Amino acid sequence: MLTARRRVVTTAVVLAGSLLLTSCGGSDSGASDGRTLRLWHYEGPDSAMGAAWNEAIKEFEAKHPGVKVKFEEKGFEQIQKTAPMVLNSSDAPDIMEYNKGNATAGLLSKQGLLTDLTAEAAKRGWDKEIPAGVRTTSMYDTNGVMGSGKWYGVPNYAEYTMVFYNKDLFKKYGVAEPKTFDDLTSAMNRFVAKGITPLANAGAEYMAQQYLYQLALSRADRAWVDKYELYKGRNDFHDAAWTYAANTFADWVKKGWISKKSSGTKAEDAGVSFIQGKAPILFSGSWWYGRFKAENKFDWGTFLWPGSNLTLGSGGNLWVVPKGARNKNLAYDFIDITMSKKIQNLLGNKGGVPVAADPSAITDPRAKTLIDNFNTLSRRDGLAFYPDWPVAGFYDTLVSETQKLITGSEKPGDYLGNLQKAYDQGVPKQ
Amino acid sequence: MTITVEGGGRVTGRHDPAAHPRRPRTSYVLFLLPGALAFLAVIVVPFLMNTYVGFTDWQGVGSPKWSGLANYRRLLDDSEFWASFRHSLFMVVAMAAVPTAVGLVLAAALFDYVGKHFGSRIVAVLRACFYLPQVLPIAVAGIVWSWILAPDNGSLNALLKAIGLGSWQQDWLGDPDIALYSVMGVMVWVQLGFPLVVFMAGLQRVDPQLYEAAELDGAGWWRRFWHITLPQIRPEINVVLTWCTIAALKVFGAVYVLTKGGPGGATDVPSYFSFTTFFEKTQVGYGATISTVLTVIILVLALAGLGLQTRAEDAEEGGRT
Repeated sequence: MLTARRRVVTTAVVLAGSLLLTSCGGSDSGASDGRTLRLWHYEGPDSAMGAAWNEAIKEFEAKHPGVKVKFEEKGFEQIQKTAPMVLNSSDAPDIMEYNKGNATAGLLSKQGLLTDLTAEAAKRGWDKEIPAGVRTTSMYDTNGVMGSGKWYGVPNYAEYTMVFYNKDLFKKYGVAEPKTFDDLTSAMNRFVAKGITPLANAGAEYMAQQYLYQLALSRADRAWVDKYELYKGRNDFHDAAWTYAANTFADWVKKGWISKKSSGTKAEDAGVSFIQGKAPILFSGSWWYGRFKAENKFDWGTFLWPGSNLTLGSGGNLWVVPKGARNKNLAYDFIDITMSKKIQNLLGNKGGVPVAADPSAITDPRAKTLIDNFNTLSRRDGLAFYPDWPVAGFYDTLVSETQKLITGSEKPGDYLGNLQKAYDQGVPKQ
Repeated sequence: MTITVEGGGRVTGRHDPAAHPRRPRTSYVLFLLPGALAFLAVIVVPFLMNTYVGFTDWQGVGSPKWSGLANYRRLLDDSEFWASFRHSLFMVVAMAAVPTAVGLVLAAALFDYVGKHFGSRIVAVLRACFYLPQVLPIAVAGIVWSWILAPDNGSLNALLKAIGLGSWQQDWLGDPDIALYSVMGVMVWVQLGFPLVVFMAGLQRVDPQLYEAAELDGAGWWRRFWHITLPQIRPEINVVLTWCTIAALKVFGAVYVLTKGGPGGATDVPSYFSFTTFFEKTQVGYGATISTVLTVIILVLALAGLGLQTRAEDAEEGGRT
């Protein structure tokens, strides 16, 4: 009886002990053998990046006989929410895609969870290939603030926002294709007169705040961006640029250029309304390019926001090498392959924005325009990042405050005041 | 603790060896051990860790910095938290009060009227229809509802227009004055099946003679409902109310899928508020404080609900003896 009872107790203790261990997440996933590269990324297999990274994996395996790439497909949210815990454990992969910015890659670099890639970037020439505006998100100082310091990530692509427009709808309603900001506003007026809401918008997600930030950027310069994004001076939400943006945005809602009913709409809905030919104009990022190319059943074109040197955009997400990665050299080799002309050209032809492609190798005409426009932006140092970057959690603040601006439940002045409050509370103390 | 022993007497807090033989009791404790240890591992230890983190300033990586009661002081002054808590009370109405009241009437109507006039098969089909939303994952139901409630091409607005009520069209999830009520409406739909099924099961054990006698005495449906159905299934009502109130206080999925707390925070609830504080703002210490407070509130309510239920059952048993 005693033995039986002891057995029961032992079993219970072992069971509970293993449960405890599992809950603490301490499993070991293999030692450094130099024969496996554990890679995580979250690009869809059909996207330009997904296709390019798949090709890079093949290339890597061909160049490293006997080495297997163990790719794990993750979700953006999954990596975003669990990265600090994963990187703190022995489960960290050798290389992973991670979101750029102070609150993400910056925070991890500050906590010592990422490998310093400065020496590799110099040795392999990444620092020369990647343009200055794109490089900003690769480098972080000791406070985790981007723009200077050491290299903690490498982006192989860039992204930027542009005006997408439905040429067929413009033709159908006799609206001239805009070349200047005045052309754009008069085109919107014409559409409203025909009973059509010209701008696709999504108040429940990033789109609305990006319209607003673009309006501010059209009255701003690089110093203004540095003040807001890199904390070089005090950012004042009641300055001329922000005030113009909030007033103009509210005015556009009043005029019917942006739907009052778009406060609860998601980005996907706005994109679909453009694809379905309901909205003639959509202002958003190059991440829509491949989708529009595949799904738009009408003639369409793009142009950079008229009358503005700056637009939203940055280097793409980063390849980072966790501090605890076991096969760092293999990880560096993989990054190097993704920077090769072959992979960069493939990325460009698939509708992505490569950072080091060979221009003559880009054969698709729309892809050519996309890359030409990026080069124009790059030349004039025109990437101004995104409005939610400076403060962790600012995305939610911007969404909820801009929703109030759309529904008219908040005046532009109060809107800016609330942004100031949230920004001042969250901005890193240095 | 009150123990009832043979003969109807009550013994308070006293151990009676004759009533509980030694051997079976020991092995019973042993069988509980794995469950208790698992409970310790997945509930108690994380809760204690969460409580500890609530007293720190921490971004989720690196070392937490002890900050004492600072997070609790911040919580007291945080208007966003209290607004989210007020929305929780609306959710209690939508997920506990309304489904319980409507569920009671529907259960009684299905049991007492539809069953008699249309047969048990129709009752079973209707009950399954009402229960269906409980089976659907909230992520799926939420996405479908967000299509139904979409402002431009949503089917609710299309339906209103088609039946000549175009002026009633709304931006159901995008208007801060309406969004909370829209979410509440969806939650009533989600939640209704649970009380209905529990109440119908409860009604099975009510002595049919009670209804027959009342009917012979000339009591109408409403009178029978008020004087027989309600008192007879009071234990089920208590269980449903406690369960649904807890579900309402911790509601997360529906808000996440439908509105993400918007527009302008109009549908934010504490669990979602805690989630964004944790993961979006990376203020893990403050997020932990919010979830600790929420857990304590839920625990107190659950214990109060169970206490009320036990007291009602005791009173009932006392009444019978």
